[in-house]
Amino acid sequence: METAAAREVVIRVKDLYKIYRMGDTKVHALDGVDFEIYRGEFCAITGPSGSGKSTLLNMLAGLEHPTKGEIVITGKHIEKLNEKQLVAFRRAHVGFIFQSYNLLATMNAIENVALPLSFKGIPKAVRLKQAKKYLTLVGLGTHMKHMPNQMSGGQQQRVGIARALASEPQIIFADEPTGNLDSKTTMEVLRLMQQIVKEQNQTLIMVTHDNNLATYADRIFKIIDGKIVHIEENHREVDLVALEHAYQTGLPSEKIDESRDV
Amino acid sequence: MRFFDLLTMSVNNLKRRKLRTVLTVLGVTIGTASIVVMVSLGIGLKEMTIEQYTSYGSLTRIEVNSNYGWGTDVDEDGFITDDTIKVLEAIPHVAHVSPVLSTYVNMRQGVYTSGTRLQGVSSEMLKEIELAQGTLPDPNANTMQLVVGNMVARDFYNSKTGKGYWDTGEMPDVDLYNRSFFITFQNSGSNNGKQKKYVFPVSGLVKGNPDEYNEYSYGLFTDIEQLKTQLKRIYRKNAIPGQPTNKKGKPYNYFIYDLVYVNVDEMDHVLEVQNAITDMGFYAYSSMQWLEQAQEQTDMIQAVLGGIGAVSMFVAAISIANTMMMSIYERTKEIGVLKVLGCSLGSIRNMFLIEAGFIGFIGGIVGLILSYGVSYLVNNFLGAALIGGSGDISRIPPWLSGIAVIFAIIIGMLAGLFPAIRAMKLSPLAAIRNE
Repeated sequence: METAAAREVVIRVKDLYKIYRMGDTKVHALDGVDFEIYRGEFCAITGPSGSGKSTLLNMLAGLEHPTKGEIVITGKHIEKLNEKQLVAFRRAHVGFIFQSYNLLATMNAIENVALPLSFKGIPKAVRLKQAKKYLTLVGLGTHMKHMPNQMSGGQQQRVGIARALASEPQIIFADEPTGNLDSKTTMEVLRLMQQIVKEQNQTLIMVTHDNNLATYADRIFKIIDGKIVHIEENHREVDLVALEHAYQTGLPSEKIDESRDV
Repeated sequence: MRFFDLLTMSVNNLKRRKLRTVLTVLGVTIGTASIVVMVSLGIGLKEMTIEQYTSYGSLTRIEVNSNYGWGTDVDEDGFITDDTIKVLEAIPHVAHVSPVLSTYVNMRQGVYTSGTRLQGVSSEMLKEIELAQGTLPDPNANTMQLVVGNMVARDFYNSKTGKGYWDTGEMPDVDLYNRSFFITFQNSGSNNGKQKKYVFPVSGLVKGNPDEYNEYSYGLFTDIEQLKTQLKRIYRKNAIPGQPTNKKGKPYNYFIYDLVYVNVDEMDHVLEVQNAITDMGFYAYSSMQWLEQAQEQTDMIQAVLGGIGAVSMFVAAISIANTMMMSIYERTKEIGVLKVLGCSLGSIRNMFLIEAGFIGFIGGIVGLILSYGVSYLVNNFLGAALIGGSGDISRIPPWLSGIAVIFAIIIGMLAGLFPAIRAMKLSPLAAIRNE
């Protein structure tokens, strides 16, 4: 913890509320959330469905406006930006990995990776070079010209990761990035994300409903009913091997979870 | 985003839905073609009208007649004399004024004979005559030189049989340019003797076949000063036929013109000058006044034709809007992804505008090609039957081609504007939703 204070705060959330109106009743999707996230951290946000974890991610990425509260990312108050500024903010600082990959069907792998760079007005030659670098990094150096429908889910998600990395953002958001993948590919993709983010000192924030996947993160935020009920410092170095073993042998994940959740 | 990147994305999106794109482009093609063809018919009609009036005489020319009565009281104030010419020349926008002194002459070559009008006009006026052969009369020559109308020869008839071209259908064996012919002037009232035969050199022949009419087709033309000298030499103190006499039946000692051509600098000023001349008390006539009326008519026809074309373009615009709307609903998620990835709102809007504009552009180009085809067919197989005139009825000037394509692009973009703004405003959250 003594190192945490010295570390640079990338995201600061203060007293964040998101209230939806459903007819006459108000639904508190987020009910007063405070936390800080540091540079280079891999954070997981977990919780059951409807807990508000996706809402939190959407607001961090500037896709939804909070009802109340502050979100300060790299010194900027996100909640005060209009949509135009938010897009510019995401373009400059944020990478995004989707559950269903969301690659553009009209473009091949390398073009998809280069797409966010084209939004920045970077010339084609430069962005293709950059895209090539990241495609190679995710292990798809041989699949540059493949169209999305010619690739497996795991390969598509690797392209998705490369796309999120290509613009070298400070923060990467991942919304259930392995939700559509089988367990073996899930492991590969997660480890890839973990490794690259660590190497590049980027901040990765991943939303997942699966507690086991969250154990890959440095810190785990547990959200229930719009409140953070628990922040867990992870010591995954110790039992990562066991976890992977458990995944591969098909052991019920709850057991591992319980053993760690004391 | 760079324009080229936007263009590439837009075109790729259009390629992805080929059939729909082709159908929408087809709509624009038909719309553009119908406007272009309709407008080209209007232009053709208008230009043909102008050409028709031009063949009757130059459109910038006003004919001014003196208003002295025929055989009634002689009013010397109404005479057109050299002084009148000076007044007419002083009217603004008048380029030059040419009096016309004409006299009736008989011609004879071999057994063939004919009568025509010999007109003396100013040398400026002579310059307007297009010649097939030879040169214009030299105003400084010793003898009067003539320009012969291209239809004059056909009117000769055989003096022995009394039959000419209109009776026999055969061209008389008359060549007024290469062979000399005799000219006799009319008798003066007081001199009943036989008139002398003259031979004048022919310096030029008016352009055109014997059946191609223009305003110089009939008659002989010469320089007015030389004609004056010639007439004075022939009639001396006697009254020149066609010239008015005073109450005592004596000729005036100056020439009185029964016709003056006033040439105006531009078509737009003709009516203005014509009114000024009428106000001076002369009879003025120009083709322009009739053309003006005819033009109002052709303008209206053109507007109606253009309107008919515009209807199909309007339908095409609706189909573009519809296609774009469909495309946006289909791509809601994709648009969301673009927004999440940081594609600016303006770029998203422009992407769709370019798509719609591109449909317009392709439709415009193809429509233009189609128009040229239709225009060719109309001109070659329908035109003559339709209006009976000669010349192309459907005319596509370069400006129309340019405007048609630009118009198609603008229509496409206008039709795409609403869908594009709709796309811009779509929520990025659509990208997050997982179906």
